[in-house]
Amino acid sequence: MSSSSQFKQLEKLGNGTYATVYKGLNKTTGAYVALKEVKLDSEEGTPSTAIREISLMKELKHENIVRLYDVIHTENKLTLVFEYMDNDLKKYMDSRTVGNSPRGLELNLVKYFQWQLLEGLAFCHENKILHRDLKPQNLLINKKGALKLGDFGLARAFGIPVNTFSSEVVTLWYRAPDVLMGSRTYSTSIDIWSCGCILAEMITGKPLFPGSNDEEQLKLIFETMGTPTEATWPGVSALPKYNPNFPQRLPKDLRMVLQPYCKEPLDDNVIDLLHGLLQLNPDMRLSAKQALHHPWFAEYYQHYTPAPPSS
Amino acid sequence: MSNPIVMHDEVPVETTSVDLTTGPEETTPDATIDDEEENIEDNKPPNYKRISDDDLYRHSSQYRFWSFSKERLREKRVNTNKIAADTIYKNILDFKNQQDLTQEQLDVLDARTQPLSVDDELKLINFYAKKVQVISQHLNLPTEIIATSISFFKKFFLENSVMQYDPKSLVHTTIFLACKAENYFISVDSFAKKAKPNREAILKYEFKLLESLKFSLLIHHPYKPLHGFFLDIQNVLHGKVDLNYMGQTYDKCKKKITEAILTDVVYLFTPPQITLAILMIEDEALITKYLELKFSVNSEKKNNDTISFSTLLTIINDCKSFIQEEKSVSTDDARKIAAQNFFCQNPMDLIQRMKRKQPEEETTASPEKKPRVA
Repeated sequence: MSSSSQFKQLEKLGNGTYATVYKGLNKTTGAYVALKEVKLDSEEGTPSTAIREISLMKELKHENIVRLYDVIHTENKLTLVFEYMDNDLKKYMDSRTVGNSPRGLELNLVKYFQWQLLEGLAFCHENKILHRDLKPQNLLINKKGALKLGDFGLARAFGIPVNTFSSEVVTLWYRAPDVLMGSRTYSTSIDIWSCGCILAEMITGKPLFPGSNDEEQLKLIFETMGTPTEATWPGVSALPKYNPNFPQRLPKDLRMVLQPYCKEPLDDNVIDLLHGLLQLNPDMRLSAKQALHHPWFAEYYQHYTPAPPSS
Repeated sequence: MSNPIVMHDEVPVETTSVDLTTGPEETTPDATIDDEEENIEDNKPPNYKRISDDDLYRHSSQYRFWSFSKERLREKRVNTNKIAADTIYKNILDFKNQQDLTQEQLDVLDARTQPLSVDDELKLINFYAKKVQVISQHLNLPTEIIATSISFFKKFFLENSVMQYDPKSLVHTTIFLACKAENYFISVDSFAKKAKPNREAILKYEFKLLESLKFSLLIHHPYKPLHGFFLDIQNVLHGKVDLNYMGQTYDKCKKKITEAILTDVVYLFTPPQITLAILMIEDEALITKYLELKFSVNSEKKNNDTISFSTLLTIINDCKSFIQEEKSVSTDDARKIAAQNFFCQNPMDLIQRMKRKQPEEETTASPEKKPRVA
């Protein structure tokens, strides 16, 4: 059990819906931490969002998930002590923009990040936990190239959008089409859709489907992936927000869509993986585990020494 | 009372759909995820080891922080009790030294201010754990949240003694925190209105509770394994079980689980083990048949059983006897223990009570009035 005097509070990293996050220094170990300060509500006690986050993070000990070290209680606030990471994927990609033109990451780095993203996500899903809000801002990275899932139940604490405070804050860009059409039976497949969007964004440096409202979001998705029909997605017309008058589009060749923004040639494997992640029909999407077994990652799993979750 | 195994060869399973998901809280994400894993089997790379549900369970905070051997569980209770008892002894000694007491008063003090024994403490905890169950049922909370409330309450008093914290003052705090942890929104005021105590009383020990729980709030209850076993039993004994009967058994087992959660089995056994024990209590013939088939089918494949049939039966029977031997604590017993608990912490009240009683002594053998339980 730690006390608050053990940490020196440094600069502010961001504001969240229910907390403020500071960089902190552990005076005993000299290690940096992220201190998430939660105001205790005199009305409701500890906010249930904080309770939920603590509850989930206590179960998720994995090298690709940011660690919750401790919880400290002082007078009228609760401080969650998290593992510190240098940066997030959103800021990192923004920093690579030259003038107005975004630049994607080198493909071997894309692969390494995507592998870690899927490893962390597979672990969440094995533990029956959905992230629900995967996006570059919530993927924390460090100088060694490690990537970890962060901000469970609290988006945006680390990644205040650099440009505006508008659409980006409540971003729709990584939201699955089934969710956009009002499906309520969604499961692990919603996180997989986000992973597909993130993979494409790492390749090109720009968001794949940057819609500004639900309607436009669906329109952008269908323009690239094709408009779903009962034949391609049985049951789609029964979804609450399905519109029979959606403009009918045919799927585009993903390689043609992405290649212009990528300096290296895109191989068949990465395109095939993208198709597996970005299936419109949620039942057709790969699971995180299946995605980790995709041939694009062959070089990783061939040398992968299986280890049960460390305790 | 044991139900005979029901075998109906003619039951057309395909056309009879029995809804086993009796409550809205019964979702089936487990089943979907398991299916996915089955599919992977075929195209997985050769050196990829499948992580079993057991591995996952051992990784959970429930296993890491809250699973014990019988000896270790007893040790923890003895320890918690001793810390509180030592404080009581010291306070009583100080009290005796500070007050000018008659021999009679000293005798009464010695007789009535002894700290609670480990077993009495446990009785009081169990009595109030039952209260948690009754109150949360009264509030119409979903089954899983009732179970979580009970679990939080019991764990709090594994770490803290009833001689340090009045169990009564934790009852509503645990239910309120369980609602938050299970994402079941209920505002503190509407909760207070329904549950009586005021907002301050509910929130007073919230952090102490969180801390005592080591912030481990995600609890695996036996309800999900129950659902899983029921699907699997119907699969393994396809066409041989009456589906209406199965539906009834499911409901009975669900109720029995909520009772079993009040006992120590939650610390000593895994959720599926508890479920199997409950199923055994409900219909031994059926479950034995199911397990025999399950094990014989598995042994035909390669030997990937992690446990032998006989070992499993021993564990189940052990768990079963724990559940069956549990006796509920009577209000009378609880009242006596609560009185002792009160006086060992408040010796002055005992002395004052003696003084008040003195004039009318022997005339009325008035029943214990203070403190009230309930």
